[in-house]
Amino acid sequence: MTGHTSPRLTVYASLAAAGLVAGLAFGRVEPVALAAPFVLALVAAAAGREPRVSVSLLLDRDRALEGDEVTATIALSSTGGVDRFELLVPLPQGVSAEGGHARALLLRAGEERTIELRLRSERWGAFWIGPVLFRARDVLGLRSWEGEAGEAQPLRVYPSEETLRSLVPPLETQVFAGNQVSRVRGEGIEFADLREWQPGDRVRRVNWRATALRGSLWVNEQYPERNTDVVLFLDTFAEVRAHGRSTNDRAVRAAATLAHGYLQRKDRVGLVGFGGVLSWLVPESGTRQLYAIIDTLLSSDIVHSYALRGVEVLPPRTLPPKALVLAITPLLDDRTAAALLDLRARRYDLIVVEVSPVELLEPDPASSAELAHRLWRLSREALRWRYEQVGVPVVTWREGEPLAAPLEEVNAFRHLARPA
Amino acid sequence: MLADSVIRAGSNATFFAPGAALGTVLLVAALVDGGRGLGLALWLGGATYVGAVVVAGHRIDATAPLVAVLLLLCGELSAWSLDERWRMRFDAGLGWRRGAAIGILALSALAVAALVVALSAVPPSHGLAWTVAGAAAAVAAAGTGVWVARR
Repeated sequence: MTGHTSPRLTVYASLAAAGLVAGLAFGRVEPVALAAPFVLALVAAAAGREPRVSVSLLLDRDRALEGDEVTATIALSSTGGVDRFELLVPLPQGVSAEGGHARALLLRAGEERTIELRLRSERWGAFWIGPVLFRARDVLGLRSWEGEAGEAQPLRVYPSEETLRSLVPPLETQVFAGNQVSRVRGEGIEFADLREWQPGDRVRRVNWRATALRGSLWVNEQYPERNTDVVLFLDTFAEVRAHGRSTNDRAVRAAATLAHGYLQRKDRVGLVGFGGVLSWLVPESGTRQLYAIIDTLLSSDIVHSYALRGVEVLPPRTLPPKALVLAITPLLDDRTAAALLDLRARRYDLIVVEVSPVELLEPDPASSAELAHRLWRLSREALRWRYEQVGVPVVTWREGEPLAAPLEEVNAFRHLARPA
Repeated sequence: MLADSVIRAGSNATFFAPGAALGTVLLVAALVDGGRGLGLALWLGGATYVGAVVVAGHRIDATAPLVAVLLLLCGELSAWSLDERWRMRFDAGLGWRRGAAIGILALSALAVAALVVALSAVPPSHGLAWTVAGAAAAVAAAGTGVWVARR
């Protein structure tokens, strides 16, 4: 612990000394009487001893969802007692405490006290709570001892998920069994067509009614159920943040929702964090992959960078052939726009979910910024047109709208247009 | 206290009035501005009183202990007020404890100062011894302050 004295102790010492010297100099008792109380205060301060305290910090759980409450328990004890014990638990941005995160209390000798702080996680992320900063003071506040105690506790707050009724189906499936009805024909459940029997066809596939009508063997063809490879392409080059809201926050929530949805369907899901810091996860399936994706998303912060970067820097297995690439981006950085067009040129099934920043940047109508804002919106419209010209559906996810709404627009786009 | 000093100075009040006014302003400023200037305000208060008493040339001022305790209370209550500005939840008993401690300190200081004034009425038969004792007390007071600050 580090000891500190109140600044007024220096003032008291100087007043006491000056009073005594003035008494001698002027031969008067009044200055000496004036100094006496301050001498007494100095003696009271000198009597104080550094206290021995024990502090520990624990969280009731280390994983939570956005908006959940987590209880931090601080256990205190002191052998000699503390007249005024102040403690503060530093909280990162995104976590708040009900009633504040500072307390002042009396700690009697040998007493054990427990303080509970109810923490509320307002935003997803990987946080460290603690250690506890404390200050022990004597009763007059003339002397204090400060220190920190307890281990910082990890807290992972997972992004809340949107409700989706259906997911975007891919144009092409993979070769492994899954829940997605494939366009190619093979063995499955969904009826596709009839064709003439060929050597090697199984007897149970024979359509006896058609055979009886035509006088030769005809068999059923089905659409098999296959899995999909989905790659979530998260743009972390830039974000718009205003009034405590951010496009990156919504993008991460969307990515978590989509990853959960596709993994539940037994699809393989991968992740690419394309920005100042490049991160990737090769497509895999299962619950373990879900936690790996969520953990990677928790550490996906916007890091500003001027590096020119394209998709060629990604390892080959990150973007499997015929994968469905869902790009979640605010369309603020030219490098992301170029990378997505590059992906389209490589024949990937690409869908762009634009996390709209427009609602966060409403200008003052009376100011000249209104014209600049309109030009900016027009340039974004032009970029969307470029994507649509090459057959990439671009859907806008506005603030306050459910994620299901723009995903339904993708299906509508695909009904009207076929990719080039 | 400052007003009393100015009144006590009598015809020399105009000499002490600026110091008294400045001390008052500094005290108010200290309470508003987080404690800056509190030490200077206390110094001005003490110096104004000592100056007024010396210039007045009266016999021993019997109210000196009261003035001393008032000066101490000025400092302690100002510091307490500034400490309570920290926004935090606190136990209800903490305020009572500090108030009681300040009260005990004030009463003890009053008794000690009164004893000092009472002892001054005793004819000093050994002037040099008293002088040495006074100098030693001054050094001890300053040394205690330095020792506490370094601990």
